[in-house]
Amino acid sequence: MTSTVAAARLGKAFGAKQVLRDISFEVSPGDVIGVLGKNGAGKTTLLEVMLGFTPPTSGGIQVFGHESLNLPGDIKSRVGFVPQQDELLDQLTVRDQLRVIASFYPHWDSALIDRLCTEWGVDLDARIKGMSVGERQKLSILLAFGHQPALLILDEPVASLDPIARRQFLEQLLAISTDGQRAIVFSSHIVSDIERLANRIWILKEGRLDWQGDLDSLKESIVRLHIRGSGAELPQLSIPGVINIRRDGAFATAVVRDWAPEAQEALEKSASVQIEVESLGLEEIFVELHR
Amino acid sequence: MKAVARLVWSYFMGSVLTRTLTIIGAVLLGADLCILATQPESGEMLWLGIFGLIALFVGSSWMPLMFGRLAGSHAARVMPGARLKLLASALVTVLLVSVPVGLVVTAAFISDRSSIPEVIQNPEALQYVLNLAAITLTSAMIFAGWMYVALWMMTSKRNLQGLVGTLIVILLFTLLPVREIRALNVSLTWNLQQLAVVWAVFGAGFLWWPEIKARRPRAPEPFDGVTRALSGRSTGREFDVVLGTANPWPGVLASILPLALMVHFVGNAPGVWLSFLAIFSTVAGAASGQVPGRSRALWLRGNWTRASLFSAVERSVWRHNVHLLGALTLAFLGVGIYGGYSVALLACGIPLLVLGSALSTYLGLAATKGLHWLEILCAIAVMFAPMFLMKFVSKANPDLLTVFALELGFFLLAAGLRQIARRRWLDIDWVQCRPERVMMIRGA
Repeated sequence: MTSTVAAARLGKAFGAKQVLRDISFEVSPGDVIGVLGKNGAGKTTLLEVMLGFTPPTSGGIQVFGHESLNLPGDIKSRVGFVPQQDELLDQLTVRDQLRVIASFYPHWDSALIDRLCTEWGVDLDARIKGMSVGERQKLSILLAFGHQPALLILDEPVASLDPIARRQFLEQLLAISTDGQRAIVFSSHIVSDIERLANRIWILKEGRLDWQGDLDSLKESIVRLHIRGSGAELPQLSIPGVINIRRDGAFATAVVRDWAPEAQEALEKSASVQIEVESLGLEEIFVELHR
Repeated sequence: MKAVARLVWSYFMGSVLTRTLTIIGAVLLGADLCILATQPESGEMLWLGIFGLIALFVGSSWMPLMFGRLAGSHAARVMPGARLKLLASALVTVLLVSVPVGLVVTAAFISDRSSIPEVIQNPEALQYVLNLAAITLTSAMIFAGWMYVALWMMTSKRNLQGLVGTLIVILLFTLLPVREIRALNVSLTWNLQQLAVVWAVFGAGFLWWPEIKARRPRAPEPFDGVTRALSGRSTGREFDVVLGTANPWPGVLASILPLALMVHFVGNAPGVWLSFLAIFSTVAGAASGQVPGRSRALWLRGNWTRASLFSAVERSVWRHNVHLLGALTLAFLGVGIYGGYSVALLACGIPLLVLGSALSTYLGLAATKGLHWLEILCAIAVMFAPMFLMKFVSKANPDLLTVFALELGFFLLAAGLRQIARRRWLDIDWVQCRPERVMMIRGA
């Protein structure tokens, strides 16, 4: 089966500044991918390269089997995008904006949009110019949902939404993703949303895809070790995959990646220590990876 | 004082581009003044000074936008004396770009007739020269002030109100001094009165604006109703709506108002009319500069490659511009018939308007990577090109061969710009031409 999106050794630079480095991935139908990264890690650039807004400087990326820079119309009509900064037309009303965008798609689900407008409290007669940032974001999301895309890409879609609107949006996203036919890629700084919704995680660090895989594997892979020595001072420890370690007399706390039970056994025997393994939440993992 | 100095420094030196222009301007002006002080005056020397003045003014051209943004920011409400310091920084900037005008004109005057020591020794001559310097300085301050207002309107208010305002300001600050010079009534007192009134009104309004704004009832924007009434034609033209080219009528209306004013001020003088219509046609085309950024919203919404998107965008922009161009051509024909212009003048003038619009349209479409050196230089050249051609066209008996050759040259230039625009669109990068990014670059 063709991947929804496939990238190989993707790189992107703006002048001398390398923003993305050597990124490879695949997105398949049914994937809900949460993209995490610090400010400036390259999340927005990655999503925009994916959609052909900007050409990669190295490597290649294909969407539904076509180069992202030259997507044919029928492929584009299967893609929905919510940009970080909206592209709404200030002089129009919500109704007119929806009408304008709907005209570009042969299969626009007006019933779905009408229902969501009612549920989300979007006033169809409001002029966009006078809307708050959160209201504008809701409308941007509606514009990406209307043609029921098979690939939905959202760049920090909930940043300005209030908790109720955020919950409604996440519920809608969950409803969309349950049929297993669509792929969703979304970036966010709200880790709890990603934890709740995503079945796969990408962690971008300094332009590289530092980690990609399903959430459970990530949680199993990156753990915190509480190490207790038998003497007054801990001996020198050689811990495989250590990200950081804090020592305090006979005790130490270490965060490690690619942790395996065999490694624990080996370490306990060789250094005469006792190790307790603590699972971490996604937010803690993210912070530890960037410490 | 430190804050004012820092603000003024930022206006002139805030980006690589403005810093370079400011330094070039200062060096050229310094060199010109040194030469004028030691050598007899000549035309070439004056050009050095004029280029220096232009570079210095363009070097400070972010001032209106930065001033407007800072004045509207939350920081301006909470920082102590922020509005007063901003106002002082604007006044200092106007003074800084005007002082060299007074110096250069006065130095050129002395260099042409006498020498500095001779003038100093002759009290009557000294009095005359000081008066001339003061008049030049104050006239330059008035002119520079209005230029900044026009720049502010162009960069901050991208709507019908802004367009009308810009055109009226350009018209007034260009025509009023001409009338004064014609009537030989330029005087220091009159200049000082103008400066005092304008700065007092502007200063008072600016300082008390937060209080005025808090008390005034919320009224609809002027022209908003007109724009809305004229914009109900979006069905079937959604592509144009997204690009902002669906409704040409506000632009037409924005041009007609200043043109009506012109009838009152200039009568039917062909040179002045052609000059203004050429500027208007250039401004009309320049609106296409926003199109590369707005086309981003279309990329995922149609079956086009970058090349076919350029073709569609080009058609859309011309569908829009042709209305304004038509209005300007009709205005020119109307004035020409009423004023008894020669057929040759009419025949040469109409292509001038089309070429002005074409040059600026393709320059705007070629601005796919924001504003850089090349775009700025081309924009300045495009503004001056129709004015240069107008000099030949507006003569009583234009040399048709020269005019035809020049118009052919401009046509080829427009065709070249179109090719550049087309090639740039083949690899357009919407990350680099997002509207907010362009605004950031402009505001930097």
